Amino acid sequence: MTQQQNVSACGPAVVVHGLKRTYGLRTVIRDLDLRIERGEFVVLLGESGCGKTTLLRALAGLDPIDGGRIEGPSRPAVVFQEHRLLPWDSLWRNVALGLEQNDNRTRASAALAEVGLGDRLDDWPRNLSGGQAQRVALARALVQEPRLLLLDEPFAALDALTRINMQSLVKQLVAEHQPGVLLVTHDVDEAIVLGDRAMVMRNGAIACEFTVSAAARSHRSHPDAIGLRDQLLSELGVGEGQMAA
Amino acid sequence: MPDVSMAVLASPSEQVTVRAGAVAQPRRPFTWHQTRFLSWLVPALLVVGWELLARLGKIPPYILPAPSKVVATGIALIQDGTLLPDMGISLLRAAAGFAIGGFIGFAFGTAVGFSRIAGVLLDRTILMLRAIPFLAVLPLVIVWLGIGESAKIFLVAFGVIFPIYMNTVLGIRQVDPKLVELGRVTGLSNWNLVRRIILPGALPSILNGVRYALATAWLALVVAETIAASSGIGFLAMDAREFLRTDVIVLVILIYAVIGVAADSLARLMERRLLAWHPNYATEVQR
Repeated sequence: MTQQQNVSACGPAVVVHGLKRTYGLRTVIRDLDLRIERGEFVVLLGESGCGKTTLLRALAGLDPIDGGRIEGPSRPAVVFQEHRLLPWDSLWRNVALGLEQNDNRTRASAALAEVGLGDRLDDWPRNLSGGQAQRVALARALVQEPRLLLLDEPFAALDALTRINMQSLVKQLVAEHQPGVLLVTHDVDEAIVLGDRAMVMRNGAIACEFTVSAAARSHRSHPDAIGLRDQLLSELGVGEGQMAA
Repeated sequence: MPDVSMAVLASPSEQVTVRAGAVAQPRRPFTWHQTRFLSWLVPALLVVGWELLARLGKIPPYILPAPSKVVATGIALIQDGTLLPDMGISLLRAAAGFAIGGFIGFAFGTAVGFSRIAGVLLDRTILMLRAIPFLAVLPLVIVWLGIGESAKIFLVAFGVIFPIYMNTVLGIRQVDPKLVELGRVTGLSNWNLVRRIILPGALPSILNGVRYALATAWLALVVAETIAASSGIGFLAMDAREFLRTDVIVLVILIYAVIGVAADSLARLMERRLLAWHPNYATEVQR
């Protein structure tokens, strides 16, 4: 499972060996192995409480781990479900939050332009729509040129149309910046549209994983996509995926 | 034809009809100038009435002098050079006490807000001290420090510490933990975490404390100067009492009021400037 040879070969973004995480007596993640290459987009699906967010938080360095090893950047970039913009800072200062150089405004400006908000540098976060705010959060993550980008259900709170736009924006920006990506989501279609690999997590371990073919990724109605969708849904324990059509 | 569909929906007793005159016309709101004028009307009438009653001799001058007399006294006192130095001394005391008390309150508030250990060690003690009405310590302060400058500054500082302390602790504890988590993920150093996330997040609460503390400081100063002072505008009033100079006393009371209002306006201006990002303050109507 850890020996996937995928996409670009400039070293792994992160390698996880035998990760274990417990809350009291309950083991949330048991003996988990994972390898994400740079430029590779991995989607993690699973029911609520299966440990997928716990895994992401462990990779982000937000929670301690109780066993195993994580070899990766000390500081991956994270986009959360909420935008988490600082309401007292202008957009460019929000984007430049983690930067230490002097040309912060220039870099933040470039990052905001990439997400289509290059003309709102000095605006306040409260003047943004939900989708725009999430785009700023994405710019804030990418401006650091992260080796590993962690996305914790970043589209979950957006309306359906905005979500589709955000998905293609993320896809495009990831292709340009080539970080390794781990996206945690509930949305099977999102997994197929975005992922190189889709994994289903169950009871604190990765139950199965699928490689998403290029055809499935680009055409929702391609037989590969429909087949993968059914497989993923049944792995998630949701009927036979008959709602697809 | 619309009648048919209406009849289906509405029972005969509640027939939907349109009556032209029945729709309430929204009252035309007052313009800004009208509101301004009306809100000043009552205080202006009160002053005019007071002036008239005093002029007609209905109120004896030693009870309450006419407003014009108070203004004249003010001008005279400025001209003979007694009022402004005394005002300066009073303001200096308030500022010094506020700075000292504010610093102590902010320092302890920051420590307790950040550190659980500091909270456990200090919070109870500070809350016990806070239970003392700060004016009640005045006799003790006079015994300790006499009636010099330090006594008045101490009293002001003592009154200022607690509102600043409480609001700083509260503000820091109320900072959204998700933003703090974001700061950690972004790799901010502790110092930058405080500077970029925690203090700005706590600022609305801290400024609220500042406003409250300004009022307390002013009150403390009035009391301290009235009871024990040899200079300052409170002393001016007490000195005037000896000679039944009610015009001076009223003048001092008015000066206290004006400076109090000015201090509060200053604090509100600070809020509007520093909290421009905050929806509650950005659009606050100027009163």
